[in-house]
Amino acid sequence: MQISLDTQQPVGEQPMPKDIRRSVFSLSIEDTQLGEKAYASWADAIILDFVKKPNGDWQEDLKSRMPAAIHAAGKGGAEVFVRINRDTAAAELDATVFSGISGVVLKGVTGPEDITAAVQRLDALEVSRGLGTGFLEIDVEVNTAGAVWHSLEIARASERFGAFLVNEQELCRNLGIQTAPTLEFDPLEYIKSQLITVATAAGGQALGMSYPMGLTLANASDDVVKKAVKRARDTGFKGAVCAHASWIKFCNDGFRPTADEAAYYRKVIEVFAEGIKRGMASVPIDGKMIDVPVDLRAKLYLKWANRAQARDDEKTQAHQ
Amino acid sequence: MNNRVARVSMFVTPTNPRFIDKAWTRGGDVYILDIEDSIAPAEKQRCRTLIRESIQKANKGGASIYVRINKPFVDADLPYAVWPGVDRIMLPKTESPAEFKRVHEIITRLEKERGIVPGTIELYPMIESALGAVNIHAILTATPRKLRSMGGAGGYDMAMNLGIEMFADFDQYAFPVAYVALAAMSLGMEATGGVFVPNTSGRVDQGDQAAMQAAALHAAGVHHAGALHPNFIQPLVSGLSPTADEIAWAKKVIEAFDRLTDAGESIGQLDGKVVDKYENDMAKRTLDWAAACAAKDTYKARALARAQAAEKQPADGHATH
Repeated sequence: MQISLDTQQPVGEQPMPKDIRRSVFSLSIEDTQLGEKAYASWADAIILDFVKKPNGDWQEDLKSRMPAAIHAAGKGGAEVFVRINRDTAAAELDATVFSGISGVVLKGVTGPEDITAAVQRLDALEVSRGLGTGFLEIDVEVNTAGAVWHSLEIARASERFGAFLVNEQELCRNLGIQTAPTLEFDPLEYIKSQLITVATAAGGQALGMSYPMGLTLANASDDVVKKAVKRARDTGFKGAVCAHASWIKFCNDGFRPTADEAAYYRKVIEVFAEGIKRGMASVPIDGKMIDVPVDLRAKLYLKWANRAQARDDEKTQAHQ
Repeated sequence: MNNRVARVSMFVTPTNPRFIDKAWTRGGDVYILDIEDSIAPAEKQRCRTLIRESIQKANKGGASIYVRINKPFVDADLPYAVWPGVDRIMLPKTESPAEFKRVHEIITRLEKERGIVPGTIELYPMIESALGAVNIHAILTATPRKLRSMGGAGGYDMAMNLGIEMFADFDQYAFPVAYVALAAMSLGMEATGGVFVPNTSGRVDQGDQAAMQAAALHAAGVHHAGALHPNFIQPLVSGLSPTADEIAWAKKVIEAFDRLTDAGESIGQLDGKVVDKYENDMAKRTLDWAAACAAKDTYKARALARAQAAEKQPADGHATH
């Protein structure tokens, strides 16, 4: 089912972000320490990659190994996704979609027809494998000009759409932009803003990092990563694909309203409610005027903070 | 009245005499009578009943008058907002062509009932969410109602929708602002979208911030900015008008291009700078805008003088001539 042009739930009543996926970490099912790494990572989501067995029936091979890999990846409370290549999507979906995954990450997408094809396959697999109908999400790893150009049609192609994941390295190569982080500006600034806006408009979210961390993928000091996460959040990203396990903690802490922010939002809500009772449209707090949109934002962001905390609690429980 | 020139607009609350009674003295090109977020829920009905008299108060200095209504209360607001003297109705948080078209239809009915030529009042979709931004072309083409200029797609509500802070040292609204401006221009409207100027404090009373904003907009050929504080009005009015040097240069360029044309040439130089058809067109635009600004300023000055004289009359007990 396609998403219409019409108004969604009023801003403020939509869950924001749609799902708490602050940190996404990629692991290979070939990794003998997959379970241990996933458990120790504390990532909100794990993307599973695989290698097709040469000289043999790679589909049967994957089918035999995927259920255990999915189980191992989810031990620490992470949601589990599988990365699927657009060119061989149908066969890869057949080989990798099993109970325990939250969805798939489609890579190499160039238009909405790729989503439509994947939806048809997922519809059938959900029935044949006893998964909930319409349950599996489709996220899109953006690494082509086509995916950017058609981003709105892609996001609106199915209600299964969940997120854009920006693959800056591959996108820059596809666009002919240098990948060396020597520019004084982010060459993908406009594209990132587009993907964030489009994903939000479709009720989803965008995951990505700020320049140059998202491009270099180099590890860096804690302070540098923290600042990069802060800027990515200020850009509108709701999480990032972590190139290094060390980024995960900073993403979990950074892609959410902080405890101080949450305390401030509680104060805003309380003081504004008192003001409304007295018939006022705005009330001051610490020299700043609090009015309807500020109050609405406080309520929205407080919900976000609470949902992030709930996600942390779920993962803590999974680790006990 | 010259409604094309809207260098600076400022919201005023009809329910607050301190703001509405003094607005005409501030020198703004546009005042927006607000029934939306600056009005408490309990005050909205009283505010609606004050709109008609507020139009007469706020435009005494020659300003154009817009009214911002509430999206959830369009049926309740519009009968109090559509009057002669209103140049534009602003629909906040517009997200779909259907809701925009419905407001257009109500305005058309009210225009007919109130002796206003249908289609006279502009309807402006305020784009304050990601959904509104991506739907902008469909929204702007949903009705035949004229709209001279279009911008926005940044601001507080957009920040909230995107989950970001409003004030940053980089342009977090790069796509929605540009996309809305591009849609407007593709439909022949003047784009009034903001040009990014760092503002991390969020303070609204700094004249130097206004001057920086005006310089950035002026350089980009944008002729409009919003003022959240009266201190912003004069820096924006003067900063968004062509300077005497710019006008003199434009005249020289046009003269030089005329000489080139007479000589059968299409490109030449003036004081080391290229003169061609493009530069000639730009110079004509500068003079056109300068003339429009001058006409608006003259109109405002005369209106202001009349209003000041009328203000003086009751205090002196007799008319001044």
